[in-house]
Amino acid sequence: MAEVRLVDIEKKYGAFLAVPQQSLTIHDGEFLVLLGPSGCGKTTTMRMIAGLEDITSGDIMIKGERVNDKPPKDRDIAMVFQNYGLYPHMTVRQNIEYPLKLRGVDKATRKARVQETAAKVELDALLDRRPSELSGGQRQRVALARAIVRTPSIFLMDEPLSNLDAKLRVTMRAELKHLHHELGVTTVYVTHDQMEAMTLANRVAVMREGRIVQLDTPKKIYAEPADLFVAGFIGSPSMNLIDGVVKGGVFRADGVEIPVPLGDRDGVVLGIRPEEIDITQDAGAPISGKLYALELTGESTLVTLRNGPSSVCARGHADFEAEIDSPCYLAPKDEARIHLFDRASGERLG
Amino acid sequence: MKDRLLPYWLLIPAFMIVLATTIYPLAYSFITSFRAWDLTKSRRPEGFVGIDNYIYATGESQFLNSLWVTFIFVITSVILTVILAMALALLLRRKGPMHTFTRIILILPFAMSPALIGVSYRFMFNPEFGVIANGLGAVFPALQGVPWLADPQLAMGILVLTDVWHWTPYMTFMCLGGLASIPRETEEAARIDGASNLRIIFGIILPQMRGVILVMAVLKTIFALKMFDQVVTLTGGGPGTSTETLAYFIFNVGFRWFDMGYASALAWILTAIMMFISIWYVRMLLSERKMATA
Repeated sequence: MAEVRLVDIEKKYGAFLAVPQQSLTIHDGEFLVLLGPSGCGKTTTMRMIAGLEDITSGDIMIKGERVNDKPPKDRDIAMVFQNYGLYPHMTVRQNIEYPLKLRGVDKATRKARVQETAAKVELDALLDRRPSELSGGQRQRVALARAIVRTPSIFLMDEPLSNLDAKLRVTMRAELKHLHHELGVTTVYVTHDQMEAMTLANRVAVMREGRIVQLDTPKKIYAEPADLFVAGFIGSPSMNLIDGVVKGGVFRADGVEIPVPLGDRDGVVLGIRPEEIDITQDAGAPISGKLYALELTGESTLVTLRNGPSSVCARGHADFEAEIDSPCYLAPKDEARIHLFDRASGERLG
Repeated sequence: MKDRLLPYWLLIPAFMIVLATTIYPLAYSFITSFRAWDLTKSRRPEGFVGIDNYIYATGESQFLNSLWVTFIFVITSVILTVILAMALALLLRRKGPMHTFTRIILILPFAMSPALIGVSYRFMFNPEFGVIANGLGAVFPALQGVPWLADPQLAMGILVLTDVWHWTPYMTFMCLGGLASIPRETEEAARIDGASNLRIIFGIILPQMRGVILVMAVLKTIFALKMFDQVVTLTGGGPGTSTETLAYFIFNVGFRWFDMGYASALAWILTAIMMFISIWYVRMLLSERKMATA
């Protein structure tokens, strides 16, 4: 059971609290993504699991054993770094072989394991090259091969795709997903890219200012964001967040009047995703304003409407066409998919 | 037309200075190396003697001795300086509470004049009142009254010590620069892969420092080959000729014995050695870069 448990862990740098006290359990074989903006403490949390960073208080348990005082090499982990962390003076073969060599594996076994692993990540033809002779994607594959060659219990991946171009990132994402399916190793993955998190994870831990603000499946996080931060962070384009008030069971803002199951109150933020909005010709639609922008994304068109400070984006058909500044009407597809948040605290309402 | 020539006109003053201070003396000494010139007899170089001065050097015991002394000095001081600088840099690369203070203290030896270092060490190793000589004598009674600078081996050791003491700070800073350019991830990856601290240093860090170490070693070799000031003020080339380096020997030939033709030939031999090392260094560096960017 390669389960990882973080029990009340906390990390301070002098007086600065980088990761406030919190707990987290990563189940055996799970692909857990730590997601959040830069500086939210996700990498620090991962580095604490790796043993590259001391924890100020709390316990880290790997496979039921407390590993606080164990050096990284004794935690049975492998890590893939954002900047690959390859040994530049070694060939691809030597890079992949190095962890086995350090663990005293005999030469014949090493050779076989390197071949087998290289084949798995399609590096067989590049074994005698140095990292400087490889492309970004190939380097990342070497880093992956070095991580999987000694079959560790836990993979730690620190933004492994962020140095790759957009196209390669999509390819590598699929490779990672397949690799996890094939190996079934518990994986902790750090990223600030919500698309990576959504596509790869079994569960996502969304972090903000060192705290985990929501821990759930990608589907649940997308459908039911716990607070305003998560609502705004997950989804591309991001969720429409409209400031307004609720009066008489209706949410009101400039050009927006949507019935909601909430009592009268001020300081309410209504959230609705662009794909949950229909574009209509009905002048009495709940959202009205002037067409501000049309953005063709290929498979759809993003339609942005403005009315005073309110700005709402809807995902329309790729063929949708209209004049900028012409009147535009939108309607929620399903009122159950409308989210309400308290503006001051950011908490979900209702 | 005027505009096109202007840069060349502007370069003329600088070129004249270089010509007067570098190119002319170099050319003059090169020509002199093929002539006989006893400064006590003539104010101008005398007749051409072909390569006689160079041939004479190959068989002259004092020159061969100074070559050997220089060789021993260069090898020991380069090896010790590079190792010590690397070790210090590894200790100092992490930012500690005394970080800035330590670095300021460290640069002080390098800021001192080599001649002054020689004088200071001469006093400190004086068997009667030298602070190091007396200190060592107090801790190790067997070392009481040891004539440090009167013993050929010890004098050479002290000469090397002063040079290492002088150059280690500068080389340490070079190492620190090199260490800062190594990605932290390689070290962390090795730590996770299971490497011990020693293995990380020798297997991961030092191979990535190859280029820097090479530059350090070559620079230090060239500086050590020119060793002069400390020899003058610390040992005077003695006892006997045991610490008479090539640079000091050339000085003696030229300005004590006034044999300017022979001194010029010796100076060019030293220059040739340094040029050979420099060319080798550039070639190594280029192949290193080629390897890094391939």
